[in-house]
Amino acid sequence: MTAFVDTLTPVLPEVIVTITACIVLVVDGLLPRGQSRLVLPAMTVVGLALAFLSGPLAPPSGQYFGGFVQIDTFTTFFRAVFIVLAVFATLVAPSYLDRRGIPPGEYYATICFSTVGAMTIALSTDLITLFVGLELMTIPIYVLAGMQRRDRFANEAALKYFLLGAFSSALLVYGFAWLYGVTGSTRYIDVATELQRIGLANGPTIVALALVTVGLGFKAAVVPFHQWTPDAYDGAPTPATAFMSVGPKAAAFAAILRVLVSGLAPLQVDWSTVFAVLAAVTMTGGNIVALAQTNTKRMLAYSSIAHTGYILAAVAASAAGPSATAAVLFYVFAYGVMNLGAFACLLYFDIEGSRGATLEELNGFARRQPLGAFAFAIFLFSLTGIPPTVGFVAKFLVIQPVLDAGYAWLAVFIALNAVLAAFYYLRVVVHMYMYDPETGVPMVASTRLLSAALGLSAVATIVLGVLPNSLYEWALQAANPLLRQ
Amino acid sequence: MTIDHILTLLLAVPAVGLLPLYVFRNDPRSVKQVAVVTTLFELVLSLVMLVQFHPGEAGFQLVEQADWLPSLGIRYLVGVDGISVLLVPMTTLLTFISVLYSSGGAIKDRIASFMAAFLVLEIGMVGVFVSLDLFLFYVMFELMLVPMYLIIGIWGGPRRIYSTLKFVIFTLAGSLLMLVAIVAVWLASGDEGSRTLSLPELLASRSRFSADFQFWVFLAFGLAFAIKLPMVPFHTWLPDAHVEAPTAGSIILAGVLLKAGGYGFLRFALPLFPVGTQLWLPVIIVLSVIAILYGAAVSTVQKDLKKLVAYSSVAHMGFVTLGIFVLNSQGGVGAVLQMLNHGFVTGALFLFVGIQYERTHRRLIADLGGLANRWPLYTTFFGIFVLASLGLPGLNGFVGEFLVLLGTFKFSGVPLGGLFWGPVAALGVILAAVYLLWMFQRVMYGPVRDAYRALPDLSPIEVACAVPLLVLTVLLGVFPQAAIAIIEPSLQQVLRLATDPGFQVAFK
Repeated sequence: MTAFVDTLTPVLPEVIVTITACIVLVVDGLLPRGQSRLVLPAMTVVGLALAFLSGPLAPPSGQYFGGFVQIDTFTTFFRAVFIVLAVFATLVAPSYLDRRGIPPGEYYATICFSTVGAMTIALSTDLITLFVGLELMTIPIYVLAGMQRRDRFANEAALKYFLLGAFSSALLVYGFAWLYGVTGSTRYIDVATELQRIGLANGPTIVALALVTVGLGFKAAVVPFHQWTPDAYDGAPTPATAFMSVGPKAAAFAAILRVLVSGLAPLQVDWSTVFAVLAAVTMTGGNIVALAQTNTKRMLAYSSIAHTGYILAAVAASAAGPSATAAVLFYVFAYGVMNLGAFACLLYFDIEGSRGATLEELNGFARRQPLGAFAFAIFLFSLTGIPPTVGFVAKFLVIQPVLDAGYAWLAVFIALNAVLAAFYYLRVVVHMYMYDPETGVPMVASTRLLSAALGLSAVATIVLGVLPNSLYEWALQAANPLLRQ
Repeated sequence: MTIDHILTLLLAVPAVGLLPLYVFRNDPRSVKQVAVVTTLFELVLSLVMLVQFHPGEAGFQLVEQADWLPSLGIRYLVGVDGISVLLVPMTTLLTFISVLYSSGGAIKDRIASFMAAFLVLEIGMVGVFVSLDLFLFYVMFELMLVPMYLIIGIWGGPRRIYSTLKFVIFTLAGSLLMLVAIVAVWLASGDEGSRTLSLPELLASRSRFSADFQFWVFLAFGLAFAIKLPMVPFHTWLPDAHVEAPTAGSIILAGVLLKAGGYGFLRFALPLFPVGTQLWLPVIIVLSVIAILYGAAVSTVQKDLKKLVAYSSVAHMGFVTLGIFVLNSQGGVGAVLQMLNHGFVTGALFLFVGIQYERTHRRLIADLGGLANRWPLYTTFFGIFVLASLGLPGLNGFVGEFLVLLGTFKFSGVPLGGLFWGPVAALGVILAAVYLLWMFQRVMYGPVRDAYRALPDLSPIEVACAVPLLVLTVLLGVFPQAAIAIIEPSLQQVLRLATDPGFQVAFK
């Protein structure tokens, strides 16, 4: 028995999150509806907090489960990211679920299951672990997207997301099969060694890598594999959208780093040009379409594509060494905090008969809800990349390896794209602060819990922008294991 | 009396003022008191800082530093030299005047947010002039942007949203390219582990910047500063922003924000990239002369009083860049004096245009007239500032423009030579007399409209705002030597760095 427990301790955080999800489901069945409203989120948060705290209890870095699981600083970093995001997605949800009549137990449990999947991706050392994690993460999200069973937009979102998600998973698994066929192994290290030996310039390897890149590109919403994002984000319940827009994206980048960057380290020069071009196309495409949106939720959906582009630029620059990976990690964290915050701000506008805040509905929001508007403005400034916010530091850190790796044109692309993005982000601030509320504009929904969660992450956005050092040091540490492989 | 960490205190005081502002946010009276007291305290502190400064020394003084992002070699490093030490009290004085004037009733809506925006703005403005680390400088440079965006956008005129977005997008386009250049400078500053963004260390390692590198990096820095300044042809945001901004916003925009561009050239672009400076110098000199003439010509035909003053700023800033890039002591000192003078005089002109507008609700020159009969006090003040702006000897405007022209005459490192560009630029001084005097005549003299007969002259608060500016205008005009003695040593050091790529200097 103790032997069994010992084998589980390396993945203690994952185990705790899984147990939390199960307990939430059971308790949901036992409690009357009125009580479950606040008990369930409280239990979820406590469970996630325990998982967070149990991280240091787990044994030190190393490989476990016969080499299927790798625990290192990289894993720890992403565990923390996913848990923080899940806590946030839990805190902002209760009153929304109430209003929309979404069963709370299912929501919280689904978030937890998806979080376990994302965490599994971060600790994978093997294509099989990776694929299990990826599916464990995405299948709950299909459910999340379609949780409002009677809403036709939610149905559209869930169906689209499911079809394209299944399609991309198929591509990915097919790519993995090719990789296995070419290299004879599913372990990253062996795959990398074998690829290094045979080189890139042969048909089967190119097919394998292309399939893997496209598959992961779908998951991260890289242009031109992004078409599912706007509809899926738009139709899903807003708290779920907030989670969907950051969790899976962060996980997709964890996978890209594990598989493509560390696995292909010797060959990265050939592969990074592809990423650089994809990055430029992705950020520009996302921004240009976002410019044309009049619905804030869709605008944020497209802008999240642009942010994929910025992160991908740092991935492309991995020749610059640890600073590139650290930039990816820092950006993923910063993006998680600010984008979740921005989507959650839309919960204020969740009124009967409205779907996600047109710009007109935002008019005069600063008068109706001064602190909420202030938090939203901070998230938007941060997404634009204006100091002193964490978004600015993230942009600075991304530009640095990109220049270092010799992609000066890509750095200029990032700068010009930030100007494009400034236009639509600041337009939201214009509507909140510079227009007066018109008569007939619906009141804003408000809950104290939502405001508290938003306030907390707005403060984090500023504090991490003014004092970014510890986060950056942590990201540097987390980037280390990838280089040694 | 010496106060330790005075520059950090200068950055902290407005931030501390935000707290009581938030506590009393629903009580306009207390809000005004808090804002006025905070900015007054900041002003006094900056004067103490000026007293603690030892004039006649070239290096940086009152330097403070701390680690900020040690893994990247980025530090919190502040200090002042002869170029920046006068710009800081100018900033705090103009902020105090703006806040004092706004608390007199010019702003009625959301006054707590308005004052908060001004305090944040003040941190950014003071920060720009004291930062000696490029990262810190960039943060402060951008910190000025958001409050001004809100000030124009919330409390501005009818076309405020168009104007404020134009202002932000223009400025951001420049500064984001500068960010890329800053990162490039960081990468070029040393090998991995020894990279830095602090000015003294960059100056020591600037020999690593190749000519090609300097060409591009200077372009990126120059673009950011040229948009901020603004230089022709990047000036188109300025008239829109000024016309729509509330009076206090215009004062700060013209008085301080534009100076960040000129200051940036002197502090970073020239000393760090001497080769880039040489390569781009002819372009900038020609653009400066064009700005002087074009600004003056366009001012002449303006129908809107505020737009006229805005375009005159374009011309005045042309003198600043001209003076900086002729790379001699007269030109450089003239440019710094011109920045100070323009801050006081144009700040005052915007104040008076605002005072007038608040009473008559007219800005078109054709709608005004005869005000001199009704407002003797207003006319006297306004008249002196107009004369200072057109460069009347004895008032401050003359000194800066005269020195810049002198420097230009002596300069030969540009096609056609300084003896061609100097006289051409001097035409701008004549044009300034034309448009300013003509404007003054149409606004102040002639028959007065019935509607304006009952309007009151300056209120005590307005006089209190105008008097310090008037005193400085006369003082700097009669006795510029005091300022020149402070500016000159530091400026000559910058010029030595800019003209001799081999010149190295030890910083305290």
